[in-house]
Amino acid sequence: MPRPDRKTITFSIDGREVEAPEGTMLVDAAKLGDVEIPVFCYEPKLGAPVGACRMCLVEIEGIPKLQAGCATPVKDGMVVHTQTDKVRAAQNSVVEFLLVNHPLDCPVCDKGGECPLQDITFGWGRGRSRVVEPKRHFEKPLALSPLIAIDRERCILCYRCVRFSQEVSEDYQLVLQERGSESFVATFDGHPYVAPFSGNIIELCPVGALTSQPYRFRARPWDIEQSGSVCNLCPGQCNVSYTVRDDRVLRVLARDHHEVDDGWLCDRGRFAYQAMHVDERITAPMVRDGGVLREVTWERALEEAAKALGRAKGAVGAIAGGSTTNEEGFLLQRLVRETLGSPHVDSRASGALPIGLHAALSAPATQATVPDVEFAHAVLVLDTELVDDMPILDLRVRKGVRRNRVKLAVATSRPSSLDANAKAVARFAPGAGEAFVAALEAAIAGSPIGELAAAAGAEEDAVTAVADLLREAGEDVVIVWGERLTHGPRAVQAAQALLKVSSRLNPNPHPGAGLLEVPAGANARGLREVGVLPGIGPGLTEAAPGLDTPGIAAAAANGELPALYFLHTDPLRDLPDRATWQRALDRASTVIAHGAFLTEGLREFATVVFPTEAPAAKEGTLTHTDGRLQRMRQAIGHPGDSRSEWQVLAELSKRLGDDLQLFTAPMVYAQVVDSVPFYAGISLDDIGGVGVRWPAREAASAWPAGESAPVGLEAPAAAASPNGKLRVGTFRSVWAAPEVEASPALKFLAPKQRAELAPSDAARLGIGHGEHVLVGGVPAVAHLRTGTPEGTVFLEEGIEAAPAAAITDPLAEVTKA
Amino acid sequence: MTWHPGDDVVEVLRGPKPGGPGGVYRAFGETLRGLKTTFARIPEGPTTIQYPEEKVPVYPRFRGRHRLHRFEDTGLEKCVGCSLCAAACPSDCIRVVAAENTPEHRVSAGERYAAVYEINLSRCIFCGYCEVACPFDAITLGHDFEMSDYHRSDLIFTKEMLLTEPLERTPLRAEGE
Repeated sequence: MPRPDRKTITFSIDGREVEAPEGTMLVDAAKLGDVEIPVFCYEPKLGAPVGACRMCLVEIEGIPKLQAGCATPVKDGMVVHTQTDKVRAAQNSVVEFLLVNHPLDCPVCDKGGECPLQDITFGWGRGRSRVVEPKRHFEKPLALSPLIAIDRERCILCYRCVRFSQEVSEDYQLVLQERGSESFVATFDGHPYVAPFSGNIIELCPVGALTSQPYRFRARPWDIEQSGSVCNLCPGQCNVSYTVRDDRVLRVLARDHHEVDDGWLCDRGRFAYQAMHVDERITAPMVRDGGVLREVTWERALEEAAKALGRAKGAVGAIAGGSTTNEEGFLLQRLVRETLGSPHVDSRASGALPIGLHAALSAPATQATVPDVEFAHAVLVLDTELVDDMPILDLRVRKGVRRNRVKLAVATSRPSSLDANAKAVARFAPGAGEAFVAALEAAIAGSPIGELAAAAGAEEDAVTAVADLLREAGEDVVIVWGERLTHGPRAVQAAQALLKVSSRLNPNPHPGAGLLEVPAGANARGLREVGVLPGIGPGLTEAAPGLDTPGIAAAAANGELPALYFLHTDPLRDLPDRATWQRALDRASTVIAHGAFLTEGLREFATVVFPTEAPAAKEGTLTHTDGRLQRMRQAIGHPGDSRSEWQVLAELSKRLGDDLQLFTAPMVYAQVVDSVPFYAGISLDDIGGVGVRWPAREAASAWPAGESAPVGLEAPAAAASPNGKLRVGTFRSVWAAPEVEASPALKFLAPKQRAELAPSDAARLGIGHGEHVLVGGVPAVAHLRTGTPEGTVFLEEGIEAAPAAAITDPLAEVTKA
Repeated sequence: MTWHPGDDVVEVLRGPKPGGPGGVYRAFGETLRGLKTTFARIPEGPTTIQYPEEKVPVYPRFRGRHRLHRFEDTGLEKCVGCSLCAAACPSDCIRVVAAENTPEHRVSAGERYAAVYEINLSRCIFCGYCEVACPFDAITLGHDFEMSDYHRSDLIFTKEMLLTEPLERTPLRAEGE
């Protein structure tokens, strides 16, 4: 549904006239008149108020009884009093009631000092209690999950955590058990509450009932400093606030930004901070010496790297990983292109696209924003599993469906967690995204789709149902598409098909509708815009044609590229076609890598390793997938004499004879802005704490024109027919990341290789749930999942022990191990 | 136009000018008057206290070096590491890092205990706010005032140092002394 139009009304609170949008709850409207009404259970992010805690009672003229301010919308001419004796007596009593069973163990409670219950008791309580009866007791402290500790004695039963689980993350795990004074929060089945967004309930809890296990007893609010930044672990780029004590990050909190994250964080963003301070982390540069990586001085590492790169001038391949900032990406492409004269730079796993298509896919006119997902008429989630690829957007889609009746269509190869919320669901064979989009295009146009649907391995009815839903929903249609769609050799055709669907659904581009990409890397869009693509320079300008990632792998494997440079990526872990990469790394005489952990590729093949700064130590800008420039700010210092990565890149340039005269991170940013015309005029101050969407600024007119000529879609390649074997699809779990494996608290979530199979296939192959199998030689544990399309097996990417990238065929045999 | 000071003029009281009989009196008379006190004290003998051999007893409420306390019956530390002392401290000289008690390793009576408890006595102003803030009477200011040392770093007192009795006890002033 489009954003509602709210008119402004005037009401009176404590004798002052206040203007507020109609329908606002009294608690929020009162704030506009600088009146504070205390609340515990009210949290607008959780949806409709419940009025459970009764703390917000106010007197409204014309209503004999006190009303709950959090659940009463303001009306024109309403007269509200919050300072009368009646209200005060009610507030005193509510505090007294809430404290009847509260243990008041503030000195040992982790919430002490930042506890709304303390604040409200101090501000609105009577100061003494008349209750002398014994308090209720529970066993404590208990682990609600390995990440969350629950203390039920402190709970005031405000329902916030339960509502989060039921209505926001929709994992339906938390419930309130028993009734009345016996009530307590628990999981429905008594199992630990493990969910991708479980950590949010820690921040929601207004008392110390739910506390973070990793942060347990670490610090008090007066021991710490909060430092705002942006998370660079996934394309969601949530705004976070690092809690720093003694130059260590102890906690990550959400920094509410309605247009980016809506105030939530996923557990990876919330708990992976621990990986910044583990011993495994690389903190000093290393050079391979006699076959072993040894820590060396910065001087020596830089000298070795510069010498090796200098020897390989003109034949250097560089690949930037998703967490690279705009500044680092810019410096990398400059180092490789201009200083070393080699055009081979890429930041995508595969599937190079021409400038025109990149321009058309993220054109400012058809760029949907994150809040648009919430207010569109219909949303199509295409070839992406949001909870894994961009977790925070998953919550946004759910919010739109639940609160604004957005019609959701899901089209993926692997069963999606959003299926239950969708009005129409279509499945297609892994890798047949192009054929599916072509079929969808035909279905929207009303042409016969039989052949195309068959090529995509999709059911004709399902495609038609998705097409009908999108066509008939209304004018605001947002297509949330995964970058995976444009991977592979037929990327160009897939992108063209997608553009065609987009132009059919949104013939007149307007705000509130369009395309929203879910990139594979956290800063994929920024890297694209600063020119880390083959043949595309900063600002999407023409550059000398170069090899893309698979091309670099092939060339290096043939011995044509003696030097490889990896910025925040380990090809053996993150990139497809492992066999070629292994040969490439083996053949290359120089492999320079920036990494945080010694993952396989670095450990075995890197000749020079530079340490990656911890995200909290980083200074730089990122570009969100909807075009918002955001800023990572430094919260902690670099350990020892560590250098920033932009410094390393600038120093290498300097040693190779191209002194860029860069002394601070903002100077690098200034160079980025100079070479990217559509960033023109955006200063770091403009970006500030909330970021700037450049497509909404005037300089966006400098964005190159996209490919607009109507293209005739070619017949897309058909998905391989299973023919006894199974089609192999891959997915990357949100937990498949080195920082998850390195965080003591999150380690238990680090995935093991599993093969998702349809029960019917498993029965045919005689495989039971939990049995060990080999999928094309890759060991995995069989995981039967209803909903998995027949004839398909899904493997997880990014697992070092059993890499799915070892399988290059679209089909594989599944056998018992 | 000449400036007229008006009512702002303040008359300054000045002493008599030097010289003359008044001057002679001030030079000798006043000096003798002062010496009278000096000579009058001579029969009393010296009152210097030979510190450190001799020590002045302190009053019971004297605020000296801090002490952390244990429960007498269980031997557990009273401090639960709540950091309220650190919050109350105006000179920011207390550092507390808390940790969790386990059944095998129980240090304090509550869920948490102070794994690190440090007071930087070179910064402490002995105001006693920490004692006031403590919800468990775990920290008190003792009578010790002999804390000088050769290195500043030695003035950072750790939890172990604060938990032990001082080696030499400062004499306490008796009733009516």
